[in-house]
Amino acid sequence: MTGIGAGLLLQLGLGALAVVTALVAAPSLRSRAGGILSTLIAVTGFVTGLAALLGATGGLLIPIALPMDPLLLAPDRLGGLFMLIVSGVGILVSLYSMSSTRGPDASRTAWVAMPVFLVGMQLVPAATDSVSFLLAWEIMTLGSTVLLLADHASRATVASAGIWYSAMSQLSFFFILAGFAVLAAVSGGTSFANLQAIEPGSWAANVAFVLFLLGFGGKAELVPLHVWVPRVLPEAPSHVSAAMSGAMVKIGVYGGLLVCVRLLPDGPVWWGIAIMLVGGASALYGILQASVSSDLKVLLAYSTTENMGLVFLGLGASMLLRGYDATAAADAALVAALLLAVSHAAFKSTLFLGAGAVIHATGERNLDRLGGLGVRMPVTAAAFGVASLGAAAIPVTSGFVAEWMLLQSLIHGGRLDGAVVSVAASVAMPLAVAVIALTAGLALLTFVKAYGIAFLARPRSTAAANAREVPALMRISLALGALAVLALGLLPGPVAALVATTVSPDPTAAVQSVGLGGVSLPGIGAVLDPIMLVVLSALVAIPVLVAIIVSARRHPHRTVDLPWGGGGSRARPRMQYTATSYAEPLVRVFDDVLKPSRDVQVTHVAESRYLVERVRVEQSLSDVIETRLYRPVLNLFQRYGLVVRHVANGSIHRYLSYSFVALLIVLIVVSL
Amino acid sequence: MFETFYPQLIGLCTGALLLTSALMVWRHSLLASIRLLALQGVALAALVAVIGIAEGESELVLVSLLILSVKGVGLPWVLAHQSKASIKQIQESPRLNPTAALLAVTLLTILSYVVVSRVFGLGDSETGHAAPIGLAMVLIGFLLLISRRRARSQLIGFLLLDNGIATIAFLTSGGVPILLEFAVSLDVLLVVLILHVFAGRMRTKFGGTAVDQLRELHD
Repeated sequence: MTGIGAGLLLQLGLGALAVVTALVAAPSLRSRAGGILSTLIAVTGFVTGLAALLGATGGLLIPIALPMDPLLLAPDRLGGLFMLIVSGVGILVSLYSMSSTRGPDASRTAWVAMPVFLVGMQLVPAATDSVSFLLAWEIMTLGSTVLLLADHASRATVASAGIWYSAMSQLSFFFILAGFAVLAAVSGGTSFANLQAIEPGSWAANVAFVLFLLGFGGKAELVPLHVWVPRVLPEAPSHVSAAMSGAMVKIGVYGGLLVCVRLLPDGPVWWGIAIMLVGGASALYGILQASVSSDLKVLLAYSTTENMGLVFLGLGASMLLRGYDATAAADAALVAALLLAVSHAAFKSTLFLGAGAVIHATGERNLDRLGGLGVRMPVTAAAFGVASLGAAAIPVTSGFVAEWMLLQSLIHGGRLDGAVVSVAASVAMPLAVAVIALTAGLALLTFVKAYGIAFLARPRSTAAANAREVPALMRISLALGALAVLALGLLPGPVAALVATTVSPDPTAAVQSVGLGGVSLPGIGAVLDPIMLVVLSALVAIPVLVAIIVSARRHPHRTVDLPWGGGGSRARPRMQYTATSYAEPLVRVFDDVLKPSRDVQVTHVAESRYLVERVRVEQSLSDVIETRLYRPVLNLFQRYGLVVRHVANGSIHRYLSYSFVALLIVLIVVSL
Repeated sequence: MFETFYPQLIGLCTGALLLTSALMVWRHSLLASIRLLALQGVALAALVAVIGIAEGESELVLVSLLILSVKGVGLPWVLAHQSKASIKQIQESPRLNPTAALLAVTLLTILSYVVVSRVFGLGDSETGHAAPIGLAMVLIGFLLLISRRRARSQLIGFLLLDNGIATIAFLTSGGVPILLEFAVSLDVLLVVLILHVFAGRMRTKFGGTAVDQLRELHD
């Protein structure tokens, strides 16, 4: 057995051990033991994934009695990359959950589900046949559903979120299953090697593509299949939301890549355009909802939709460009999409873990009631800050590199050797650039709000005022996540070069590492060297800084005491900006899309109606897609369900009559 | 001597089986139904004994004794195992009135004759000619199951259905091996015991065994 096979087997063994441990361990030891074993599972997955990413081959063959190709778990380089992503997030989450879980989150059921979830996620990218892929996919979904429901007894919203999640997951699974079924029926086998033989332009490939897009798009939170996200991610325990958003969603991306890059490469041009449309719409819609949300976890959940939209935008652009033989730009766009996925895993899991730390310390996730946590929780604030920079795609973080590369490929992709490659590309590329520009601006606003309102200013509630820093293991996990965001941003060259090996036959033609970990795109002629950028800005900043310090030392220190406090000394926390008021201009601008419902109640002073005693403003935002698209369908189903209730009303006599009538009909038919 | 009587004996036994089945549908008292069931068990045992003697198989005679003890005596005794006074009071209020029920029985019997003659052929033997009676009993048992409200009346329908299956088996293939027959009989006895206990618990818990009141599921 090869190293990869041993690694996969070890993950399965550790997973079984963790399940047994969670079942038998005493409640006081459960979190510790479960956390350690989960960390080991994730570390094993990390090492296995790294080996596969570096080109090691081998795997685990599981013969089955059914008339199908045998189950084979053997990750290729792309699978290795995604195994690395999910297990990297798994390490952070496992470390964090060791001390963050308490109450129902640390129940036996939750700790049984945790290793199941991790192992399922790590096995999906290793699968090389549709049966083991679907099997691992279902294990992953099952584990995550149970984890989500940990707190269902005390909060009704969790149960509702569970129903939404189960329904949407099963819908995704159905589409994926149907997609594989179509391909398997045409190719006559279930292994990926067999499925690859199908002509991408054939009707079967087109049908399968649409099914796969619906299935994987649902898991990757793309609009309009994202409706579970704003319910599920906020209601799940924070470490679970981190794992879902940081890792599980990437499995949806992996599915998309599997279809578009591995199974059915070089598909028709409309595939690329379709993916770009879905991705662009998701990016815009996600960030718009995130920017106006005042719930910290809902904000992060919608921002996940935005990031996944950008990943798919990159994937679609690369498919479109490849269709017109603009290979260099296509490769760059694809690598950019992968880098976005990697960096999103780093910053979004850190952000969710940070949000979990905030909830752990204050019990609040409403931004309007937070504030002033920067002083009280310095490590959390620093980690959340760094990850926010990443999410807003600010230089020296991972998010910036990925978006820079995506923009480069889009800007240069429309032309090949000075000539326009096609009308479609020359329309699509500038539009995509505009989408990314708007998204980036809104993302900046969103994360300024998230960080500024939660961690700066004065506390807006006593819970926030009494917050204490979280335990050491949670801090370590947060710090590791923040370091990953910075490392990916400062050394993009080696990372991008490694990522390029997964999708390009000639990786050095697409991406090269230059200078001190800088990245260069030879096909486009663009270079980015963040460390040099830092050194350069330091060279500019240091003389200015020195000059300021010197001049400050020359003048004697003066104490300034404002006679009336400048208004600042009597300012109360209520006078500060809140998340809602900060986003208010945006709500006005995008009124037509967001459809906010606002309720203003003015209470007058009893003596005179010209004097106002208090004003109460309430604003609620609903998901337009949910109310306009899903509600009518759900209502239809509900009506149908009421009709069916008469058919199956629980009466034994009625059921027996059905079988009796069926028997009689059969007898009459056979005797005719 | 025996050969001349044989067709008549077969006819008598199967006639008794069909008659008891029809009467079970007609009568509403539980006690009457149980007595009819016992009578039917005896008729089934007699049928098996006649077939056994005609074909010279001593095994079948043993089986007939087994049937007599289980279906003729054991099961009815289990069902009637309650003070006679209380069981006499139990009156079924079925979903079908007697006229409609008897009409349905007629139609089902005709249907079973049509089905068996069209699909399998009636064959030349006397037993083959009588085979539709078994199917008719199965269908009548089913009718009892869906038309009776009380759990114990439904149990009688279930037993009638089982008798029908046994009748088909004996009439078409001369019965099943004795070991199998023994096992099936024990199974049926066990099922009846369990359902009987279950019905008793239902009565003590809900004050009645009307099945159509049991619609709501509870955790």
